[in-house]
Amino acid sequence: MGTQLKDVIIKPDAPSTLLLDKHADYIAAYGSKKDDYEYTLSEYLRMSGIYWGLTVMDLMDQLPRMNQQEITDFIKACQHECGGISASIGHDPHLLYTLSAVQILCLYESLDAIDVDKVVEYVKGLQQEDGSFAGDKWGEIDTRFSFCAVATLALLGKMDMINVDKAVEFVLSCMNFDGGFGCRPGSESHAGQIYCCTGFLSLTGQLHQLNADLLGWWLCERQLPSGGLNGRPEKLPDVCYSWWVLASLKIIGRIHWIDKAKLRMFILACQDEETGGFADRPGDMVDPFHTLFGVAGLSLLGDERVKAVNPVLCMPEDVLQRIGLQPDLLS
Amino acid sequence: MHGRVKVKSSAQQEEEKRKEREKKLKIYVAARDACFSKRKEGVWDDEALQLTQQLLSSNPDFATLWNYRREILMHLETVKDEDEVQKIYETELSFTESCLKMNPKSYGSWHHRGWVSARLPRPDWARELSLCDRCLSLDDRNFHCWDYRRMVVKMSGVPVDQELAFTDRLIGSNFSNYSSWHYRSTLLPLLHPGSPEPPSPCCEPPQSSPPPSPQTHSHRVCEEQLLKEYELVQNAFFTDPNDQSAWFYYRWLLGRAEREEMISCVYVSRDEERVAVVFSRPVNAQSVGLLLVLDGQPQRVEWRSVHPRFKHSPVWICDLPPGTINDISNEHNLTVHWTEKHTHRDCALYTGRNESWCRDTATDQELFRSELSVEKTSVLQSELQSVKQLQELEPLNKWCLLTIILLMRALDPLGYEKETLAHFQTLKEVDSVRAAYYSDLCSKFMIENTILKMEYAEVRVFSISDKNLTTLCHLDQLLLVTHINLSSNQLQRLPPQFAMLQCLEVLEADNNSIENLEGVYHLPRLEEVLLKNNKISTLADLQPLASCPKLKRLDLRGNPITQTTNVESELAELLPSVTDLLL
Ligand SMILES: [Zn+2]
Repeated sequence: MGTQLKDVIIKPDAPSTLLLDKHADYIAAYGSKKDDYEYTLSEYLRMSGIYWGLTVMDLMDQLPRMNQQEITDFIKACQHECGGISASIGHDPHLLYTLSAVQILCLYESLDAIDVDKVVEYVKGLQQEDGSFAGDKWGEIDTRFSFCAVATLALLGKMDMINVDKAVEFVLSCMNFDGGFGCRPGSESHAGQIYCCTGFLSLTGQLHQLNADLLGWWLCERQLPSGGLNGRPEKLPDVCYSWWVLASLKIIGRIHWIDKAKLRMFILACQDEETGGFADRPGDMVDPFHTLFGVAGLSLLGDERVKAVNPVLCMPEDVLQRIGLQPDLLS
Repeated sequence: MHGRVKVKSSAQQEEEKRKEREKKLKIYVAARDACFSKRKEGVWDDEALQLTQQLLSSNPDFATLWNYRREILMHLETVKDEDEVQKIYETELSFTESCLKMNPKSYGSWHHRGWVSARLPRPDWARELSLCDRCLSLDDRNFHCWDYRRMVVKMSGVPVDQELAFTDRLIGSNFSNYSSWHYRSTLLPLLHPGSPEPPSPCCEPPQSSPPPSPQTHSHRVCEEQLLKEYELVQNAFFTDPNDQSAWFYYRWLLGRAEREEMISCVYVSRDEERVAVVFSRPVNAQSVGLLLVLDGQPQRVEWRSVHPRFKHSPVWICDLPPGTINDISNEHNLTVHWTEKHTHRDCALYTGRNESWCRDTATDQELFRSELSVEKTSVLQSELQSVKQLQELEPLNKWCLLTIILLMRALDPLGYEKETLAHFQTLKEVDSVRAAYYSDLCSKFMIENTILKMEYAEVRVFSISDKNLTTLCHLDQLLLVTHINLSSNQLQRLPPQFAMLQCLEVLEADNNSIENLEGVYHLPRLEEVLLKNNKISTLADLQPLASCPKLKRLDLRGNPITQTTNVESELAELLPSVTDLLL
């Protein structure tokens, strides 16, 4: 019953240099196939999709290739009476897409396209008695939504509009035996959730509440012999988990606990040399989601061909400097 | 998109696929638009249920459609009688079950199922539990299902011991199941809570409880049960020594609870008319209600952390009003109250004394050892023996090596120091991608040992040269240290935490790779800084030293900065108090 190590093998002919031009072309073309079946199926997360595409373009210094006017108009049309923003027109508002919309508008310095006060009211209205946040009015509770709430408010400079102490108390009640965090109290640790919770604690100035050595150990144990990182023990490596683990390690001041050169090799191997873009693993289909997290991961690893990315908000550092937002990191 | 392998196909295949997708797109868009327009018109009928069902079956992440379904169901609740509602919701459960079969990791389907279960007039929680059993038997790591199970357990009051038995079964059939071990870590403290430590003499019990999490005291496990768990875990890692789940769990079992919130040290200096307070964990002294009483008189003081980088810190300082304690012929009694936690600590400054302190030391609190009672540590000894046996079979197993180190530290950190160092060396070789982690962990343990040695010797000299240190930690334990020797290590910086060494007079750090002195900041007594052969390269790197008023001697030989022009005059300007400069 011995466990077999789950990992991938990187082929010797896998890409080993960063194909920036191809990625920029891939993202620029992505939005133009609006009649595609797969594209239509992903309408329910369109706002986040746009955020992934624009952020990676900005990190590659290619933002002007995107259609700013069209996108701002789209966001405007996605804000609802309640203040919340939906993934697309005809869909219901949700914290996930409210954050994505606010992030996009920060990239474009055009927050005035939406009613900011109403966004703040919407976020505030989703906080529950126990400090947690529901994703929307239907009441799903998740630490992801705690992150979305404080990240949105931090970008808008309105953190004081919610009960921060209660929000912190809830997130800390999701801390586990391994120092990590899950969706809700009692839920198993998961790298995506850990990213949300460390990011949350950074934005609320509470990073000292972490057991950084224990959490850092769990996080650096996500690195597999291929160099890639997985999101939980005994799972396959993935470019997006590589970002979540790496960003969390950066936030808690322990990014040097993984082998950076090996991770870089893994991320580069997930590029598609023909189409541009990154996949979750070498040889899989690419998408904008993994393309952003591939490039952002390389940025955190110190690649000088892409702009510096902020590990908490996954946005270019120069954008955050412009807003005057510098989330805490542990030293 | 996850796990979709890219396949090469011929032009003809491509064309066929394109046509097929076009057809699918038409059907999809028609159904979606029909849903949207019905909803806009406020129609809540069977056809809408049919249409959303059709779409959600292939795209369960389309959250808005679940919302629409819920609106319809809530409408039906108002027009149908209870039996009909029960039937409708049961049909809804079958539908979500079929969605979950196709996509067991859809947030939307799981949330909807929970919503339906909670609204069912006559819920059948036993069925929900057995659904979880079936789902977990297909994928015992599906965290959505685990979370749903926890909801069901909570709603229906399944006893904790029954759930613990469930994890026994899962772990019994497959030890490599991190999710089950995790679940155990949440159940055990409920079933077998650890007894809280007796409050120390100067502290009243805290009134407010910390948020519950397995890290805190309220979520530790009683000793007897701990010993049983050791056995279970041992079975697991003897069966499969490379499975990380059990090793992670074991480290938690060996760990210590977070310390009670208390004031662990109060220090007062007559010369500087200054008080320093150390807390058992980082706090923000400006907001926790700290009260300083001197000779019965509450004092109005400004608390500041040792470095502007810290809003939360274990060490805080304040200046007393000038002239309050500077007469050496007077005795003073000082009390610091932490009003929020209903705890305090006294400190007396006697006639003729320049400084005084009152504290719990690391040795008093056995901070760096096991929490087991003395008679039970023999169990750890036998644990160590069996893990060592395993190591003989698996000499390069990293989990085994690390666990041996942890057991040795729990038993006798100083006695096992040499063996610990050797095991760390092997670890760095067999698990080289994590070498930096092991170096930092080894540094931490060496610092702990040096703190213990210093306290046994009752001296204020902290000497840890030539130990391959890559990081500094526990600096809050070094508040009273007057002389620190960090020479011949691999340090790259003296971090902001270094400013906790408020009594420091001499800093020796020759032969490191230090390029950053951020933490040598406002150290009121610092006179000597020896930094021979480091990587100080600019004047800006030395800027923090300018905040140390008594600095007289500075050795910078063998640093890149000595090669820059005008370095001597620029240093004289930056650090006017330095009279003995070695370049
Ligand atoms: Zn992924």
